[in-house]
Amino acid sequence: MAPLKKICALLLCALLVAGQPTAGMTAAASVTEPQVKAVFVFNFSHFVEWPADAFATPTAPFVIGVLSGEALATQLEVAIRGEHVAQHPLQVRRLSDIADVGDCHILYIDKSAGAQLASILAALNGRRTLTVSDLDGASQRGVMIQLATESNRIRLMINVESARDAGLTISSNLLRPAQIVRTSGGP
Amino acid sequence: MTTPAVSRDRAVESDATTGRRVAFRSLFFPIFSIVAATGTAPLLAAPTPSTISALKQLNVEELMNIEVTSVGRRPTKLLGTASAVQVITNAEITSAGATTLAEALRLADNLQVAQRGSRGWAISARGFNTDLANKLLVMIDGRTVYTPLFSGVFWEAQDQLLEDIDRIEVISGPGGTLWGANAVNGVINIITRSASDSQGVYMEAGGGSELQRIAGVRYGTELSSSTALRFYGKYLDRDDSVLEGGGQAQDAWRRGQGGFRLDSRADDDEFTLQGDYYANREHDPAGITRMRGANLLGRWSRRLSGDSDLSLQTYYDWAQLSDAVSPLTLAGIAFSPAGRLHDDLQTLDVDFQHRLRASDSQEIIWGLGFRNTHDTVRNAPALAFFPTVLDQQLYSAFAQDEIRLHDTLFLTVGNKIEHNDYTGFEFEPSVRLMWQVRPTHTLWAAASRAVRTPSRIDRDLSEGAPPYPLVLRGRDDFKSEKLLAYELGYRAQFDQALTTTLSAYYNVYDDVRSTRITPATLLPFYFANDLAGHSYGFEFAGRLQLSENWSMHAGYNLIETRLHVKSGQFDLSNARNETADPEQQVSLRSSLNLPRGIELTSGLRWIDVLHNNNGPTPGTVPKYIELDARLAWHASPHLELSLAGQNLLHADHPEYGFPSPERSLAQRNIYGKVAWRR
Repeated sequence: MAPLKKICALLLCALLVAGQPTAGMTAAASVTEPQVKAVFVFNFSHFVEWPADAFATPTAPFVIGVLSGEALATQLEVAIRGEHVAQHPLQVRRLSDIADVGDCHILYIDKSAGAQLASILAALNGRRTLTVSDLDGASQRGVMIQLATESNRIRLMINVESARDAGLTISSNLLRPAQIVRTSGGP
Repeated sequence: MTTPAVSRDRAVESDATTGRRVAFRSLFFPIFSIVAATGTAPLLAAPTPSTISALKQLNVEELMNIEVTSVGRRPTKLLGTASAVQVITNAEITSAGATTLAEALRLADNLQVAQRGSRGWAISARGFNTDLANKLLVMIDGRTVYTPLFSGVFWEAQDQLLEDIDRIEVISGPGGTLWGANAVNGVINIITRSASDSQGVYMEAGGGSELQRIAGVRYGTELSSSTALRFYGKYLDRDDSVLEGGGQAQDAWRRGQGGFRLDSRADDDEFTLQGDYYANREHDPAGITRMRGANLLGRWSRRLSGDSDLSLQTYYDWAQLSDAVSPLTLAGIAFSPAGRLHDDLQTLDVDFQHRLRASDSQEIIWGLGFRNTHDTVRNAPALAFFPTVLDQQLYSAFAQDEIRLHDTLFLTVGNKIEHNDYTGFEFEPSVRLMWQVRPTHTLWAAASRAVRTPSRIDRDLSEGAPPYPLVLRGRDDFKSEKLLAYELGYRAQFDQALTTTLSAYYNVYDDVRSTRITPATLLPFYFANDLAGHSYGFEFAGRLQLSENWSMHAGYNLIETRLHVKSGQFDLSNARNETADPEQQVSLRSSLNLPRGIELTSGLRWIDVLHNNNGPTPGTVPKYIELDARLAWHASPHLELSLAGQNLLHADHPEYGFPSPERSLAQRNIYGKVAWRR
């Protein structure tokens, strides 16, 4: 078969020029959306700076609240096991009521709770809580970090103003690959 | 697609003493049945610590490049999670060493898969797996690929470059409410990667004992920041298989396929244009069978808001078959000579769908569909269809509402209404209830109705075309076959490493195809709907992550089918012609990552006896156990060398077909492959 021979020849060339290894994970077994999102949320605890007054004591827990995202919460519990931010041990809280959102350092709002977004943001006004959501358009509505899925990959959309208003500083490592978004329209 | 009908397995076999005929096993194309083997990815994502810790090592950019599979994502139609779904991932297909789509389907525990010879496959879910298996809906990127000739699939004509398959969703159980007629016992949804996810160069080449040559190439490029394109080609060439009585089966074949996919994205719009062309050349004792086909599909989807989106898809598909047909011989008498059947089928399909979140607790999906088929046949003396030119239209509308009754309780109700030219209106309602017992435990139950509408075989077949004697024919009064299905399922992740899915079903069938005889003259036999009955079964799949580098998969499947001839009626095959399924099947698979980039995958399958149900004369395929294995070495991030073996335990074994010296066997196949990605 002529075409086959041609392909074999190409492969031979390929062997000679095969390049350096790429970093990171190659397509391992299937990685699910909640897994990747959970690791993003975990990373935010390191890429965002909270003012000292966000913690009652130097060893008080760093609380990540998860509203409605059960699958993500399960993954996140694995991700934070034994982890600290400075001396604050990380803790995941599964929330079902928006009354509990105030004590969190990071609050993940699953898109299934999207209908309550306006009241959640209102309740958090003035608090030092990093808001994260996978709801479409969340960042335009004032959520600080939106995890958007495009072509099976997670993209970051960051509303820097919202974070600044809450006294939080987002690392340039996070901002660089992200799409910067401003609050648009009403609340 | 397949080999000619009547060729090897005589279409009809007669029992001289009673004068009754029995089995029509292969009226047509050899396809066949049985069981499936190994693995699937659980729908519920296991929080495997190893995955999480690996992900934690990545920087933000790398994380953003990780491809995710999401639960219940719906490429074109809602994939209700309240159903028995298994997902085969790209990684599983690759590591199992599958070389064609049909081989990859052995990885679904909820399918019966049987190979005959070098290119024939019978694939079904929940039984009814025969040469003419007709109760499964198969789609590639939203394009239906079963043929209206017999409502089954010519598996050797349906393939893709496996490297670019994103995943295969296999649903056992009815899916008629969303997908329509033919989604009776199951739905297979083959989804290829978007062009933006298949960038760069991929090349593979290999060969071995039965699979003599395989080669594939893909080139993907970004045309702009929002538009990507890929081209691909694939070629393979397989050797003759052997016959049970010894000697070559003369079923060697080769095929080539090429195609492209373009994906473009704007703010709220996504657009896909894709197409394929293939050509098969297949040896057969009766001559050369040729198949060719091409398709072009466009899909546009638009997000209207976070709570609402719509999609519009249209495709054109052309499939041509030139089939060498053996002479028709019955009880030693030659009824009609050899010849050639030509079939040219053109399909135009338009599908619209709208999803909206109607309130906090309700998500509605509805849609409309239209399909036009234009089928032209040039008949062989032994195998013919009348009318020779047939235009048909199919209209459909469906709606489904998913209602959140309570925090953890979901009710889904829906119905599909179709109008086809053979039987008029058909209704396919379903009710599904899902309870999220715990975040990682789901219990579901469902009741549904599904129909298999008549195919051309049922209505238009003429085995023996004038002036030759008519032996078997379709009838204008052939009705749709009906199913009422009751299902119960449980999906659970028991701890971080163990994931299981269970499902059980009870199916009630009515108006299943039977064969009558003409009073007084005996011939011709003709199709009727005189069978009814039920089946029940149980499906299990489990995945255990033993360590970061070792995972195991186990599957078990039980099927019991009880069909009977309706009272006062008669069936030539004693209600035994429509099924040939193993009562039990078991699969075990292991995937092990060793140091130095070495990967070892193996899959063991045990398949129970197949009763071929050839009327009063029972025939069986003996139970068997077989092993597939693959050893791969990732020599560099770009280069992979592998050695794979299929059916390693026996030189050959039957997986389907009535016992006969002419039964063709599945052979051991060992091949090596080099793959390069950049």
